[in-house]
Amino acid sequence: MWLPLLGLILGISLGLLTEIQIPEVYESYLSIAVLAALDTLFGGIRAQLQRVYDDKVFVSGFFFNIALAAALAFLGVHLGVDLYLAAIFAFGVRLFQNIAVIRRILLTKWSERKINS
Amino acid sequence: MKKTVYIRFTFILLVVGFMLAVQYNTVQNPETRDTRDVWAIRQELAKEKLLHSELLSEVRILEETTGKYENMISDSPKAALNDTVEQLKKEIGLTEFVGPGLTITVEPAMESIAIGQTIDEISPDLLIRLINEINRFKAQAVDVDGKRIIYSSAIRDVNGNTTVNNLEVKRAPFTINVGVTTVEDAKKMYNQLEASPIGDEFFIDNLRLAIGDPVNDVIVSAFDQSVSNEFLLETPEGE
Repeated sequence: MWLPLLGLILGISLGLLTEIQIPEVYESYLSIAVLAALDTLFGGIRAQLQRVYDDKVFVSGFFFNIALAAALAFLGVHLGVDLYLAAIFAFGVRLFQNIAVIRRILLTKWSERKINS
Repeated sequence: MKKTVYIRFTFILLVVGFMLAVQYNTVQNPETRDTRDVWAIRQELAKEKLLHSELLSEVRILEETTGKYENMISDSPKAALNDTVEQLKKEIGLTEFVGPGLTITVEPAMESIAIGQTIDEISPDLLIRLINEINRFKAQAVDVDGKRIIYSSAIRDVNGNTTVNNLEVKRAPFTINVGVTTVEDAKKMYNQLEASPIGDEFFIDNLRLAIGDPVNDVIVSAFDQSVSNEFLLETPEGE
């Protein structure tokens, strides 16, 4: 349970301590990549809770989503259309849906446990 | 099975955390690029050098004062203090200034007299503009029609009359005495005033600005009113 949290803390501290900065032009790519990663992450948690988790789907989804989002942003920059907004919208909606499903599952589990005890 | 899931999540969270931190770094302290070219940098360097030399000369003056204090403290501390007071009075403009400078005469424009136009008093705005122009060229002491300009001098319109230090400035012609540090400065100021468009501004008001030649002994009168002091308090004796 604590291992993923440790990973998050480790990643954040690694990023903060190395003080890596990316050029301003690539900022939108990174932000969209972060969103894609978060989306995949919550999708994975939901799948795990619904017991439909698949390793391959999760890992491939993580990298594929990030790449797709970055590609959309890239295309948008070159076409002069803010295509990254489409990615932000899609990921945002999915993020909310996933979190809602996770909440419901956890609530159901919690109430079941209460009834049992 | 469960363990591999945790390891996968840990790895993904590590990447997410790293990306978040990098994004945070980028947003919080954006890297500002130095886009100045060599000339811009040289100009800034020149500005800093000027400041440097000004500070050095100030330090020298202060060191001289402390040296004087140290020398005189055994003989007569009162004399040293009086010296400082005199120096401060000189700086603020409470004493007469005698030194290099030039005299500017504001007189009615001949053309206006010829066609019979009335010559009005100089307006406060025009006078302020002239004083600013003079100060821009490093004037040490300025008086307008015998009224010394100090840090708190007010040039304004009182009941339709232009006043300096609350004293009326007479109608043209009147003189403005300007004191500077060296004769070279006076020459420079003469040239700069001749070249500046301020003369044209005077002509619009039917006045003419006659800038006298730089001389070695211009007399700028002292400020003869009391200076109000809001911030310094006298220390009671014996403390």
